[in-house]
Amino acid sequence: MADDSHVTAPKPPIPSPQPSPARRERGLCNPILLSPTGGEGRVRGPVKSAQSGLVRIGERPAPAYWRSVDELRDGPAAAGEFPGGLGKASGSKAAEELTRRDFLSLMGFSMAAVSLAGCRAPVQKAIPLLVGSDQIVPGIARHYATTCAGCPSACSLLVKQRDGRPIKIEGNPQSSLFGGGTCATGQATVLSLYDEGRARGPSWQGKPTSWQELDRRVLDSLRAAEAARGRIVLLSGTLTSPSTRSIVQAWMRRSPNFRHVVYDPVSLSALRKANEQSFGRASIPHYAFDRARVIVALEADFLGTWLSPVEFARQYAASRRREGQQPLHVQLESGLSLTGSNADVRLPLPPSAIGLAALGLLRRVARRAGAGEVPEGPEPFDAKRLDAVADALWENRGQSLVVSGLQDVSVQIVVNALNSLLSNVGKTLDLARPSLQRQGDDAAMAELVDDMNRGRVHTLILYGVNPGYDYSDAAGFLSGLKQVALSVSFADRLDETSSAVHALCPDHHFLEAWGDAEPVHSHFSLSQPLIAPLFDTRAAQESLLRWLGEEKPDYYTYLRDFWRKELYLRQVAMKGFDAFWDRSLEEGVFVPESTEAAGPAEETHFLGGWKAAAQDIVEGSRRAQAGPRGGPYEVHLYESVALRDGRHANNPWLQELPDPVSKVTWGNFAAVAPALAARLGLENGDVVALKSRRGQLELPVLVQPGQAARTVSVALGHGRTRAGKVGLGVGANAFSWAATALGVRRYSASGVTLEKTGRKDPLACTQTHFSMEGRPIALETTVEALREEAAAPREAEVLPSLWAARPGGEHAWGMAIDVNSCIGCSACVVACQAENNVPVVGKDQVQRARAMHWIRIDHYYRGPEDNPASLHQPMMCQHCGNAPCETVCPVLATTTSSEGLNQQVYNRCIGTRYCANNCPYKVRRFNFYDYTQNPKFDFNMTSPLGRMVLNPDVAVRSRGVMEKCSLCVQRIQLAKNDALQGKRELADGDVQTACQQACPAHAIVFGDLKDPESRVSQLRQDPRHYRVLEELGTRPSVGYLKKLRHPEET
Amino acid sequence: MSTTAIATAAKAAPAAQVLPRPRWVEGSPSLHQITEDVARPMEGRPGRAWWICFAVAFAALLNLGGMVAYTIANGIGVWGLNNSVGWAFDITNFVFWVGIGHAGTLISAILLLFRQQWRTSINRSAEAMTIFAVLCAAMFPAIHMGRPWNAFFIFPYPNQRGPLWVNFRSPLVWDVFAINTYLIISLVFWYLGMIPDLATLRDRAGTAARKLVFRILSLGWNGSHRTWSRYETVGLVLAALATPLVLSVHSIVSMDFATSIMPGWHTTIFPPYFVAGAIYSGFGMVMMLLILTRQTMHLERYITLRHLDKMAKVTLLTGSIVGYAYAAEFFSAWYGGNLYERYHFINRATGPYAWCFYLMVLCNVLVPQVLWFKKARGSVAALFVISILVNIGMWFERFVIIVVSLHRSYLPSSWGMFYPMLVDVGVLVGAFGLFFTCFLVFIRVLPMIAMWEIKGVVGNSAHAAARPANCDLAPHPDPPSTAPAEPSQSRLPAPGRDTRGQGTVRGEGAESEREKEAAHA
Repeated sequence: MADDSHVTAPKPPIPSPQPSPARRERGLCNPILLSPTGGEGRVRGPVKSAQSGLVRIGERPAPAYWRSVDELRDGPAAAGEFPGGLGKASGSKAAEELTRRDFLSLMGFSMAAVSLAGCRAPVQKAIPLLVGSDQIVPGIARHYATTCAGCPSACSLLVKQRDGRPIKIEGNPQSSLFGGGTCATGQATVLSLYDEGRARGPSWQGKPTSWQELDRRVLDSLRAAEAARGRIVLLSGTLTSPSTRSIVQAWMRRSPNFRHVVYDPVSLSALRKANEQSFGRASIPHYAFDRARVIVALEADFLGTWLSPVEFARQYAASRRREGQQPLHVQLESGLSLTGSNADVRLPLPPSAIGLAALGLLRRVARRAGAGEVPEGPEPFDAKRLDAVADALWENRGQSLVVSGLQDVSVQIVVNALNSLLSNVGKTLDLARPSLQRQGDDAAMAELVDDMNRGRVHTLILYGVNPGYDYSDAAGFLSGLKQVALSVSFADRLDETSSAVHALCPDHHFLEAWGDAEPVHSHFSLSQPLIAPLFDTRAAQESLLRWLGEEKPDYYTYLRDFWRKELYLRQVAMKGFDAFWDRSLEEGVFVPESTEAAGPAEETHFLGGWKAAAQDIVEGSRRAQAGPRGGPYEVHLYESVALRDGRHANNPWLQELPDPVSKVTWGNFAAVAPALAARLGLENGDVVALKSRRGQLELPVLVQPGQAARTVSVALGHGRTRAGKVGLGVGANAFSWAATALGVRRYSASGVTLEKTGRKDPLACTQTHFSMEGRPIALETTVEALREEAAAPREAEVLPSLWAARPGGEHAWGMAIDVNSCIGCSACVVACQAENNVPVVGKDQVQRARAMHWIRIDHYYRGPEDNPASLHQPMMCQHCGNAPCETVCPVLATTTSSEGLNQQVYNRCIGTRYCANNCPYKVRRFNFYDYTQNPKFDFNMTSPLGRMVLNPDVAVRSRGVMEKCSLCVQRIQLAKNDALQGKRELADGDVQTACQQACPAHAIVFGDLKDPESRVSQLRQDPRHYRVLEELGTRPSVGYLKKLRHPEET
Repeated sequence: MSTTAIATAAKAAPAAQVLPRPRWVEGSPSLHQITEDVARPMEGRPGRAWWICFAVAFAALLNLGGMVAYTIANGIGVWGLNNSVGWAFDITNFVFWVGIGHAGTLISAILLLFRQQWRTSINRSAEAMTIFAVLCAAMFPAIHMGRPWNAFFIFPYPNQRGPLWVNFRSPLVWDVFAINTYLIISLVFWYLGMIPDLATLRDRAGTAARKLVFRILSLGWNGSHRTWSRYETVGLVLAALATPLVLSVHSIVSMDFATSIMPGWHTTIFPPYFVAGAIYSGFGMVMMLLILTRQTMHLERYITLRHLDKMAKVTLLTGSIVGYAYAAEFFSAWYGGNLYERYHFINRATGPYAWCFYLMVLCNVLVPQVLWFKKARGSVAALFVISILVNIGMWFERFVIIVVSLHRSYLPSSWGMFYPMLVDVGVLVGAFGLFFTCFLVFIRVLPMIAMWEIKGVVGNSAHAAARPANCDLAPHPDPPSTAPAEPSQSRLPAPGRDTRGQGTVRGEGAESEREKEAAHA
């Protein structure tokens, strides 16, 4: 008689689970996936409830006949999805007395229903929300922990799922490594899920086929390989997943002909190789920048792209927030990187001279340590500066850190010697529990390409790699691919490589897939699907298991078994595997107690060998000086913060993300020093041809302050020829210049000539003027100056206002941004774009200064052009108390709320743009076109698939209206409702804006200024606090904390 | 020629010790001749010159239609605006056209109150110019909106949105009122001023249709004394109403900028500076139009060099005020010591748009100084060139104020450049097309010179020509027999009546009295 209530009287709605007010709601796994699906088929989870929390929407009309006053007054209120809490469900509770007729009709209906149910075919594709689940309430977002696969750093994430769609990536605060931060690339991965360029299903030689057919062909080929003793090679990117590695090991056990080659497009194999020689471990240490008082980085953009930037940014900012003297960060690099722009001391050097600088440091440190003489050699700059750096390092022995991103084994050995002599090993870098984020082996890759071309590889399986694009000898690889009897790729699209393979077996996007990761030794995290696979894709692990001949090639089962066998036993807190599994899924991360309890690792013994390495460096420089072949310039290749190695080139959010340093979007460029540009008569946008033995590159010039004098920096990751509609042909591909030398691929080249072509290719920059013109905008101070101010406090000038004070509301929302913590990584920019449905406008519109980002990171230079100091200042709507935009709007489309938010009313806006003209911060963004309908803006909003990423809580703006930062008003509202329903006060930290949540450096603090205890109120009292252009009388709600400098810099 | 005429007149009455009144019509045409001359363009067929001008103007108007349709269909993105420079050609054109209109109101209202007779030949076309210019101007705020279909939000109309009303603190709302008031007053003023002439045309009309149209338009004008009396009162009242508009409208337009906080906009000098600039550009435009029409329509007799001379003097005065304002802006930027303000003016003179600034100074400050020379004021060609330069200069003044202030505001990170797109230029040209099309149609269908007014100032010779040669100068009504083709003329008030309050004829009468006295003596 389950349907009884439907027939007679409305049944009181079953309350849906409410998001826990105390912390984010998390689920064990995604209920959408609980129904069997076509592809995966085996995903099981908690039994779903047959009753949903769905109730009718809208007011119920007053009943014509009523029995109680309650029934008349209160309609049946709705459950969770309705803000402001629920009225008590009322209405006729008891079913009316059944008549015989009712009984018979109901019985008839029930029997018919039962028999009809029996006729139904098994459900293959369930429609989730029709069935309903106690875990899904329409309109209520839920967060599920998973692991990012945007790069091998494998950050822990909490992904927001709304109505069955993952729509926003957030960092998982539970992670001790990443601390809730994310990077721009990670933030944008959610859009890659809805990428139209993804393969829709398996294909054989470019033609769609079925999985069965593919499996048959692959198994045939594998059998043939076994029979012919042909080599089977799995070429993968760095596999941080321990369970996947165990599948690979199963393959190795199974077949003696099986090889696994790990290939990273941007490789750190020199570091691994050097560590093997120095410490006997071919691994990458786990660094602790937060423990270092002095950091010396040699061409390592550890805050932007190098190894694990989110983790390092967290550590770096944490060490800068501590009381007392600021840590010292010295950066030696050729192009101005994000990290270099944050350095206290930065020395621009060509890539070839950085080794000599390292050697110079080692010479001084070794002398002090009494560790013997270091071969003499030229020093690239002023000895006094090296002395000072070496002094600082020596004074902070055990609290310093030298890192190098150079792909040069000798330099890495010298760096190891430095760290070793400074007794940093085991303190600021940990080799015993190494990082597993880069495992590529350049020599093995070179050997594989050679083998392929010699016809020695029978079957090649490509997993997560695209060497046809990003290998330095891509042509050699592709020609080798033709020699392979069977090539299989798990790529998600037809890219440069997978369009040349026999079998394309598209892998899930990570948001559709199960998985796990171990980014750093004994730090585990889990991945769980947030959505049923959108296309006919299959987990790569399942394919591997299937071809291995597993009986049950289901990766989910395998993963659970793996965790049961390998990880469950490493903890004692949870009794029973299911509980352990559920908790791990919920928290997303698992660190065995043994790891935490182990304390500092034992010092790894340094094996020496650095003298030979030093000799190598000296000789190398002598050779270079003897006679440079080719032209006089050097080229330095780097990963750009947005596109990284180019795998996300089809992601419009990343293409349009301004480079944190140059503010260039859509394409790469040749960065040249101002002096060189003046000498050669080059301007921004002049196309130059760079020529070397590695070929020719034609790129527009960017005059980059701080660029090493004779070095041209070029970003990798551009110039995709097969990526999808967005990334196609944006920029030029520089990977071919990363030549392999001495077993490692180097990301620099010397002997380069530079010629003007006479053509122009204007760059699309979001900022074109980098000088503050002496204006007090992004302010700096020193610890000493602050101390003096504290000793003699000055009465703050209170500016008079002509306006009457506004009546305040319950809250006064405000934000404080610590410019000293902000590293400018731009994760917030993409986070805001994802949260607030900010459209992508394309290169042409960015050139016309019409980028739509609600938050931008202003970058200012101070000091000499050849090596300036940088300031990054996030700038968004300042939510002025006396808003200049508000008074000028003729139709009151922009108003200030009682809680201090400057609100834009899209429906009322007629688009006079007067508000934008009158905004001193120029943070208002106008919809010049209809970015959601106009086919010229074919990015993500114009396609039904791309629109799936839109946040339903935020209106998509029409053409002709103004928009701007809302301080994530939808999040404020949600937190208020949660507090209301939980019958509690809104606590500080309940509301986190998207930019704040994404920030790996925790530079952004949002809260209630009316609450004197809130963090933002306390930061307002900080002596470093100020408000930009305060003298205009705008009274902004957003404040900034001045950047702290070392005294000698300012 | 005019100078000789004045000289002869001076010689004729040396004993009076009074300069003879300047005569504002050349060649002493008879009253009938005046009617014939003014009505000729309306009753004949247009000449080739008119057709060529009309074809060009109409093509530009069609282009405007296309450009506006394209803009509304695609969005403001088809213009060169961006997030740094939110206004450029649109508001530049708006301010330019509003400014153009001011000369008409000044001529017809202020000069009327100041009893300047020379306005009679030019006031009708100047008023027409005002209306067409205000129409052009009013178009821009509407089409520059992101969502022009919601433009009605800007009016405080009764609605069902509860307390949602317009923002009376916004100068854009003041603009709406200012422009609409201006348009309405100007239209009424223009139309009422035309009624006696429309009646003349009605009486002259050859075809029934024409007669019907003019009968409706002339609102049953019968030329009775009572009609004239009321008519004059209304004219004075309207002039008094319109006079403050000359000052208020452009002051309010200037507050779009002055009340903002942008360096380069936020300055108290703007209202008087804008009014002077408006009159300056308006006179430039009137001068250009009148030179064109007097040459092509052969109205040299009515729009004399003395008219041009007067207008040139006003141009010189207002141009000098504008030049002073430019200097004052720079001075206050320096003297005020505001960092942003100072940078703005340095940038104005040395930045990427410096050429616009120097073009503006050249056209608005240096070029009009030529008008100190009588020779320049007497040369139609020189005046024509100067009037065009004045208009170019004033357009660039608004461009400099708007774009140069916006493109480099407070935060250098958001500095940007504005580059016009094809549509920007198309709309600019198209607005001229709209203006000239209206004007060209106007001179063909309506009397472009106020016949009844000019008849009042035509002077002794006209009266002399209108009656027997030996007739004395005593005022008396024109005998009907002398103007058989103009029945309405017969109902004209007697000379000596104060037509429209300017006392012209009365003056004539008084003067002739003095002359008689002198003769007796």
